Amino acid sequence: MRHYEIVFLVHPDQSEQVPAMIERYRGIITASGGAIHRLEDWGRRQLAFPIAKVHKAHYVLMNVECDKPTLDELTGSFRFSDAVIRNIVIAMPAAVTEASPMNRPEEEGAPRGDDNPVADRGDRGDRDDGMAD
Amino acid sequence: MARFFRRRKFCKFTAEGIERIDYKDLATLKGYITETGKIVPSRITGTRSNYQRQLSLAVKRARFLALLPYTDQH
Repeated sequence: MRHYEIVFLVHPDQSEQVPAMIERYRGIITASGGAIHRLEDWGRRQLAFPIAKVHKAHYVLMNVECDKPTLDELTGSFRFSDAVIRNIVIAMPAAVTEASPMNRPEEEGAPRGDDNPVADRGDRGDRDDGMAD
Repeated sequence: MARFFRRRKFCKFTAEGIERIDYKDLATLKGYITETGKIVPSRITGTRSNYQRQLSLAVKRARFLALLPYTDQH
């Protein structure tokens, strides 16, 4: 069995169905002896660009451990579900259980971003003309 | 001759000892894209090549999930 990280986006009109969908996927995974190591519901988020003419979507993140037939069943159900507008499956080397940066916003956001490398970039070009430093 | 003092570039990921760049960590990724949504080259940011490759993959994943824009013209 392998570890996968799955993110799928649900159409905002079908947002109420998300708990039912999660239960269904949990059933598919556990039925074949797999496990869900991390489950996060990011809620409805603004999309950076419209997908399928919608501007918001409900994000769900799952870190699962399952075998290939189970994964095929999951991706198949994503494909044939009208509610899922986008999904991504990433193979992971190990189980991840700690909260993702999405699920813990604003609590330790301050130390980040004050040393932004883009803000203080010099003029283009990296040719070392002996002026740097 | 004008001699500009140029701030020394450094790789933030090497300095912090980050193992994997996470595509979900938008606060970090946003520091490495331009206003138009392009990935900033490592010759400007000073990111080590190993991390630059991870960064580019992370940005592309985040774009696919509509967490980051591909361009500013959406």
